[in-house]
Amino acid sequence: MEQLVAIAVFLGVLFLFLGSGVWVGLSLMGVAYIGIEFIAGRAAGGGMINTIWGASSSWTLTALPLFVWMGEILFRTRLSEDMFKGLSPWMARLPGGLVHTNIVGCTVFAAVSGSSAATLTTVGRMSIPELRRREYPEHMIIGTLAGAATLGLMIPPSLTLIVYGVSINESIRELFIAGVVPGLVLAGMFMAYVAIYSVVSSDYKPKSEPSLAFSEKLKNSAYLIPVLLLVFVVIGSMYFGIASATEAAAFGVLGALVLAAFQGSLTVSSFSESLMGAVRTSAMITLILAGAAFLSLAMGYTGLPRALADWIATMEFTRLELLMALLVFYIILGCFLDGISAVVLTMAIVEPMIREAGIDVIWFGIFVTVVIEMAQITPPIGFNLFVMQGLTNHQMNYIAKAALPMFGIMVLMVFVLIAFPELVTWLPDTIRQ
Amino acid sequence: MKKTVRRILDGLYLAGGIASALCLIGIVTLIVLQIASRNIGFSFRGGPDYAGYAMAAASFLGFAYALNHGAHIRVTLMISAMGRYRYWGEVWCFIVGTAISTVFAWFACKFTYESYRFNDISSGLDATPLWIPQLSMAVGSILLAICFWDNLITLLFTKKPNVIESSITDSGAE
Repeated sequence: MEQLVAIAVFLGVLFLFLGSGVWVGLSLMGVAYIGIEFIAGRAAGGGMINTIWGASSSWTLTALPLFVWMGEILFRTRLSEDMFKGLSPWMARLPGGLVHTNIVGCTVFAAVSGSSAATLTTVGRMSIPELRRREYPEHMIIGTLAGAATLGLMIPPSLTLIVYGVSINESIRELFIAGVVPGLVLAGMFMAYVAIYSVVSSDYKPKSEPSLAFSEKLKNSAYLIPVLLLVFVVIGSMYFGIASATEAAAFGVLGALVLAAFQGSLTVSSFSESLMGAVRTSAMITLILAGAAFLSLAMGYTGLPRALADWIATMEFTRLELLMALLVFYIILGCFLDGISAVVLTMAIVEPMIREAGIDVIWFGIFVTVVIEMAQITPPIGFNLFVMQGLTNHQMNYIAKAALPMFGIMVLMVFVLIAFPELVTWLPDTIRQ
Repeated sequence: MKKTVRRILDGLYLAGGIASALCLIGIVTLIVLQIASRNIGFSFRGGPDYAGYAMAAASFLGFAYALNHGAHIRVTLMISAMGRYRYWGEVWCFIVGTAISTVFAWFACKFTYESYRFNDISSGLDATPLWIPQLSMAVGSILLAICFWDNLITLLFTKKPNVIESSITDSGAE
């Protein structure tokens, strides 16, 4: 009974802080401090500093600011123009036409960027005006871009997967490799939707593209070479076991700088802007991680994670029931919290639960990532909706409605993952051998 | 007078941000050295530990700078729904933030000092006395606390915090 009261007070303070608008990282830190000091009645200071220092000074975590920096450098290059020029000749003939450049462009950029906001702005800056000029249906342009940009979270490098891997102490490299196939499958599902829609719908009448000779197409593809090289450096070095995630991130930063220098977009101001942008974003994420590490410690004192895991064990839920409950839980949480906060906040509780239920933690990482992706395009706090609003000046509701089919496809993806877990486990298993 | 104080404080946060940026460059350098030492075969011990310290410094020293640029994430749903009472919501948030960051700064300093007094040595290959890298935590947490006090006082006197409202689109967080 006493434990129940303690847990209720603990969660109550947590919701009060988070809900009233206190910065997420500090909320977690404050709740943890109150939990240990006043509810458990022990001195919190030592544990606080030990955990925060331990969580912040880790070698694994260094991949995070580096991938953020890499994205910031690429954002300031001519990569988006080049990608559109290189991709569009090949996409023009597919059913659905150039809308596919949104999806393929996001997929390619996702392979050099860990964030969906960066993916959205980089691809959208070029494709939105170009597609509008060719009179593609507006809701398809907006919807597919908002949806496909979330691939930035799934296809490695991925900030969400780094944060997940750091929280549960699993190999980032393995998580990255695990995200490749599901990311491509999801992109394929988006493309299939566009193709079917373009055939079925009557409002899909874009201007036709001038047909290019094959040699002409090949020539345009040369624009894709730099970005594909960069993809190869980052993902290839991890796949072939040459580099850990952190080392791949350092390669990525150097590669991005070389690419920017070749394009002539590397100036002192673009360099320092990219660096300071990376400082802000990574400080934001690490404050949350520091708070969450301390909160996990405090949660241990309340006994909540253990109690929940035991309860799950006695209830004998099937795997599917448990996953459905978690799916609903994360979708609701994702309506109010950003993805990274949602992951780190819940891992202390969810990790023992899924380990108890015998669910593969690498697989679960990809599962959570899809759910977080959905949260990116659901109001009221969908992150991509905000970014898209800034980019197009459309109403939030309009964007959310345009992206709704993509949300449906992601729900379908969750069930595909549950039905075929090999999609996730196959690639990491092959590199392990 | 007020302007000078303002300039000094903003300069302080920016200095933290720049130090943090230098740490990021340091991390890349350390990793490259690490890879080079493995392939060329010179000895470079404790590379991962040093990169970890640089990582910690990059985070802690950047906290105040990020706060001053409105980069730290918060749930603004309720506070924007408060309309003309929003001021009181902000006051509450800054009071809580100030309290927590001050407690954090206090313990960070206390335990860094204890590392120094008891001469804690890193258990890794680098064998660094831990208080040296931990200084970044002490300094960064003090900067963050100063930034919170600064914003709370500015908010109470001018009805507006010093934080630059950033548009959400320039955050590359997700």
